[in-house]
Amino acid sequence: MGRTEEITRIRAALSRRLALVLTAAAALALAGPVAAGAPLRVVATTTDLRSLVEAVGGDRIAATSIVPPGRDPEDYQPRPQDLQRLKDAALVIRVGVDYDLWLDRLLAQTGNAALARGGERYLDASRAITLLDVRGTAVGPGHPHGSGNPHYWLDPANAEIITGTLLEALLRLDGANAPYYERRRLAFLEELGSRQQAWSRALAPLQGAPMIAYHNNWAYFARRFRLNFAGYIEAKPGVPPSPAHLAGLLSSMRAQGVKVIVRQPNEPEKNTRFLAERAGARVVTLAASVGSVADANSYLSLFEHNVAVLARGHAGMP
Amino acid sequence: MTNAVTDAMALLWLPLAASVLLVGIHAYFGMQVIARGVIFVDLALAQLAALGATVAFMLGHATQSGATLAWSLGFTLFAAVLLAATRGLSARIPQEALIGVIYVVAAAASFLLVDKAPQGTEHIKQILTGNILTVGMSDILTIAPLYAFIGTMHWLAAPRLARAAGAWMRDFFFFGTFGVVVTSSVALAGVLLVFSFLIIPAAIGLLYADRPAKQLAIGWAAGVVASLAGLAASYAWDLPTGATMVCAFGAALAGAVTLRPLRLGVTATCRTVWRVTRVAFAVCLAASALWLALSPHADQPLLDSIESLTPDLRAGYMNANERAVYEDADAYAERYRLQIERLNTTEANSRWQGRALDDFEVRRISSFLQSYGEMRKGEEFVKREVRSRARERARWWLGATLLLLALLAYPEAVARIRRLTPARTRQAG
Repeated sequence: MGRTEEITRIRAALSRRLALVLTAAAALALAGPVAAGAPLRVVATTTDLRSLVEAVGGDRIAATSIVPPGRDPEDYQPRPQDLQRLKDAALVIRVGVDYDLWLDRLLAQTGNAALARGGERYLDASRAITLLDVRGTAVGPGHPHGSGNPHYWLDPANAEIITGTLLEALLRLDGANAPYYERRRLAFLEELGSRQQAWSRALAPLQGAPMIAYHNNWAYFARRFRLNFAGYIEAKPGVPPSPAHLAGLLSSMRAQGVKVIVRQPNEPEKNTRFLAERAGARVVTLAASVGSVADANSYLSLFEHNVAVLARGHAGMP
Repeated sequence: MTNAVTDAMALLWLPLAASVLLVGIHAYFGMQVIARGVIFVDLALAQLAALGATVAFMLGHATQSGATLAWSLGFTLFAAVLLAATRGLSARIPQEALIGVIYVVAAAASFLLVDKAPQGTEHIKQILTGNILTVGMSDILTIAPLYAFIGTMHWLAAPRLARAAGAWMRDFFFFGTFGVVVTSSVALAGVLLVFSFLIIPAAIGLLYADRPAKQLAIGWAAGVVASLAGLAASYAWDLPTGATMVCAFGAALAGAVTLRPLRLGVTATCRTVWRVTRVAFAVCLAASALWLALSPHADQPLLDSIESLTPDLRAGYMNANERAVYEDADAYAERYRLQIERLNTTEANSRWQGRALDDFEVRRISSFLQSYGEMRKGEEFVKREVRSRARERARWWLGATLLLLALLAYPEAVARIRRLTPARTRQAG
């Protein structure tokens, strides 16, 4: 009998506390960037980050990306509506590592300190990522970004870190939905983990097989799936290759038996085809970001597409 | 090495063949373009062709399909109509202004269209940024008969058109055929190189001859020689081919302008060239001397480039201690560079062979790379500092030596200065 009374008392106390917590959360939410109930507006610079934001945020957030799919974020020219989108944003998330530098000027134009670097509504997804190709101030061959290669989302294991950083921000801005976000993130990571095993199995025959890429976008992808990118057609972005570089590449392709050349849809098809014809290799078009080919419309399908196309290309299938 | 040379030969003969064909047709059109004063018309026509291809792409046609080609040609012919029709306005507005307007509007319109289509930028890029290095046999087999046909058409039809048809028809014939040529050539060689093919051989021809046939022959010869030199330089110095060829064409024009007095006689020309060279050399030396005396710590382009060619020159103005510090810093800088290279290779290889490095190890390598980078910068700073201090100490005698060399290169300067000085004194008096 006493036991039942005690349970009732605890329940009442719990519900009082819950009510208190909920009231506080609601008050916080009202004071914060969004009204309770309205989805949290999150602006990502790229489609890849947007896809990860959607994976965690589900229907409690409204995510947009600034750079349209298939466009080079490093060359992006902002439009007036981008400024409006950023002004209304509860959270802005960027790739960082000098990849979306134009964002800084846009954020400065909003005049909102919370959106500026280090502000509470600003998130650099490269935080805590182990960057590759870090060149410091010394200029070497490969990627021009001194602070590291920015294509880190192409390692599925980095999605855990990116979504972790994102989750922390979401808990801060929208604590009321914390369990929802956590649940979704764990489910996403579980799905990603099991698919990653399948991708590793599918790419196992390619391990160590030398390939050529048009540009050094694939460092993280290569590291995760143990792929050997033995050379790049365009060693310095925007500078066409010299005949000596192409001749060297051709002879090393022949010597190493390179069978696959990787390009992205927005990289010149002609130069890759030229090299492929002479070295007897196949050109494989991979998507380095979500939406750059029709199949790759989410973070998971980006890898599904790339793994399938690469495995088929290596096996000599069309 | 021999293999690389053979590979380079295999890579370069098709670009050379393409260059000869392109020079062939463009030198001819270039003479007309210069005569009409529509220098940038090729850019406008190529941009309109790109706009046509973008529209085709938006409508769902493949890049190299007949439909895309038809759209490109349609837009180019539309530009030809526009240019022929507005010729009458040239008394009030120069045609070059309208050409500029066509160019910017076409470029902006393509940009707006592409904005609505993923992968669209690639489309415009493929049309406007051809790469002569990657020209294939199929390209040559396409342009050779096309250019032969257009050349013959001009040969046969142009005189008749000049007699029979009106000015409008002549202009349309010119701009239309030129548009077809430019659309194909820009896709192969890119706008910069096509502009050089068009204007520079024609300009050289115009400099050296009065009759059109002779002008054309000189233009062709100059164009072929410049192409050959550009391709060879691009291979020898490991440079992007298109850009190197454009510079070779520019150098050819500069050489042609310098040697133009050759028409007056070999001796007179040699004398002029020799004098200009000496004056230029003397001015460089004297300016360097002055700059060294005024600001020994600043960049000294002349001294720096001489030193990079003959590092032993430093021994001339550095004392033993400075030389030792400089060489020590140089050795360390090189050691750090090698360390950076080694670490980069280790990390890159670990992605696919041997044991995979974990995140902690990769981060450690990155921080080593950054440290080595900073240390190398530090050594470079020491080298610069030691060098500028030595230069500061030696600036007076080093500057005097440079001045003396300048005077030796152009001793007439003394007489000139002497002639000027009394005149000034007289004026002052």
